[in-house]
Amino acid sequence: MWTCRRGAVLCAFLLLSPAAARAQFSASGEAAVTIGSRDETAFFNYTDYEHNALRMYRISLNGMWRPDARLAFLAQLRSEDGEIVPYALYARVRPFRGRNFDLQAGRIPPVFGAFARRTYGADANPLIGYPLAYQYLTSLRPDAMPASADDLLAMRARGWRSSFPVGVTTPGPGVPLVSAYRWDTGVEAHAAGAHFDGAFAVTTGTVANPRVADDNGGRQLAGRLGWTPVVGLVLGVSGARGEFLSRAIGDRYAPVFGRKTYAQRALGVDGEYSRNYFLVRGELIASRWNLPAVNLPFIDHPLGAQTGFVEARYRFAPRFYAAARVDRLTFSRIRGQRLFGGAPTPWDAPVRRLEAGGGVYLRRNLIARGVVQWNKRDAGLVRKRTFVSGQLSYWF
Amino acid sequence: MRRLAHAALILVLAGVLPGGAAVSPDAAAAGAIRGRVDVRAPRGSRDARPDPAALGMGATRDPLDPRRSVVYLETAPRAAFEQSEERRARMDQRNERFVPHVLAIVAGTYVDFPNGDSTYHNVFSLSKTKEFNLGRYATGRSKAVRFERPGVVRVFCDIHSHMSAFILVFAHRFFAVTDDEGRYRLDNVPPGTYTVVVWNETVHGDAPKRTITVPEAGGDVDADFTIR
Repeated sequence: MWTCRRGAVLCAFLLLSPAAARAQFSASGEAAVTIGSRDETAFFNYTDYEHNALRMYRISLNGMWRPDARLAFLAQLRSEDGEIVPYALYARVRPFRGRNFDLQAGRIPPVFGAFARRTYGADANPLIGYPLAYQYLTSLRPDAMPASADDLLAMRARGWRSSFPVGVTTPGPGVPLVSAYRWDTGVEAHAAGAHFDGAFAVTTGTVANPRVADDNGGRQLAGRLGWTPVVGLVLGVSGARGEFLSRAIGDRYAPVFGRKTYAQRALGVDGEYSRNYFLVRGELIASRWNLPAVNLPFIDHPLGAQTGFVEARYRFAPRFYAAARVDRLTFSRIRGQRLFGGAPTPWDAPVRRLEAGGGVYLRRNLIARGVVQWNKRDAGLVRKRTFVSGQLSYWF
Repeated sequence: MRRLAHAALILVLAGVLPGGAAVSPDAAAAGAIRGRVDVRAPRGSRDARPDPAALGMGATRDPLDPRRSVVYLETAPRAAFEQSEERRARMDQRNERFVPHVLAIVAGTYVDFPNGDSTYHNVFSLSKTKEFNLGRYATGRSKAVRFERPGVVRVFCDIHSHMSAFILVFAHRFFAVTDDEGRYRLDNVPPGTYTVVVWNETVHGDAPKRTITVPEAGGDVDADFTIR
């Protein structure tokens, strides 16, 4: 919290200081009000225990101070339902004049995948909800851990508030496969050419759990290679590996298992094609987590999760568009003893989602959106739920 | 207030406001109105909208120059409306800028929007004068729009939010876009008394205007303006 406060003060300084105003300073931002059905029993769209992506107000303020053509400082403050968080705060350097190679250090944008870098902005998200990969909370937590397979199976469909006997035992939200709600802290290098671009980052957290301060004793290595064979088509491959479990849990089991790494590994493929009035995007992401096997029945394999989505948008008139996204999230199977009769069972409940809707450009930078979202989950108290949501979004 | 000013500007561009001369061009020798528009507004920002989600620096572009103005007659001679041939104009998309940033045309003109960049652009406008969306198209391709109604059209790119331009559509031909030094010249103006108006994107209230008389003998008449 202290770090967030310091970051917010630094952001405010960068955004508002007279020195910044005199230099090459520019600002942008977005405000969005989203109203929709309540989701306090199924928690399909919760981004943590408090915030619902289909029912929130948010403000973001971006600032860039560019004292030199090869040096820039960037900051982004975001507020979702009131809490102000410095989302981005970093320096960007172009070390070689005339070369499309940049270094960024600080709280930096994620290099993994494509969606997390376009969650805000003019036309970044044609719908209101987020893809499951970037939002849906699995039951896994970096600060708590199941001791056995039964502990994990007992938390199926409870990612909004899971609890485990190892580590922090109080209930808390799990993590998505890739978080779109926080950015990680570290250093990133990016190079771009006519048809290729690549980014590589070393950060403190993982794609599921980006962090400001390191709590896991390890670094994440993440990268993405993008290929643009023709204008309008972008293909990307991403990979990431980083320590997932908090150091406290690792230390606890070090005398028993030795110094092992309990990492999250993620692999992603993304694509985008657009032409005339059509835009189609899609991503496939697979993630694996290693956890120590503590009690019987053991979680003896890495826990896997796979997800994929395809979204499309069509501008059928200058002011109007329609959009839809099909989404699916599945999990690898584990075998318990007490639960499910010892049969192999997905360690969390698979989810399917279809979201469809449209938008109206009231002005160039004032967009009204409306969506209907259907969700289906294979477990939990609420297994099906349909939501209706509307949003008014303004950017400058 | 801004809406009223905008509505008045549209009427003016349409040439329907009273007070102008209705003089046949054959009646006397034509003159010219010339001068300079001194715009003292600062240049625009080099990077209009920062994007913290970008992984790199991005291209450095020249700042937008708001000093380009359009000078026109509030009400034009009647003969000025007699246009029949098909007209074409061009607004390029180059280095993520619309070139020119300000374009003035006669109603009925087709404007071509060729894409000279190696990325997609998506030209559109939600202006009341002309609402259109050309969709995404790649390098070397071009699409055209016909502007039938007089008025101001703000043009944007749906992909690059820092791209913007203005197209001023007139019902007559007595207008000119200022050059790099702010100079303009309206040729072949029949003798008479006219109101000369300046449009500039930095002016949001009443547009600067002056009453000018072109003598029966023709010749050049000077009219300078300053915009702060």
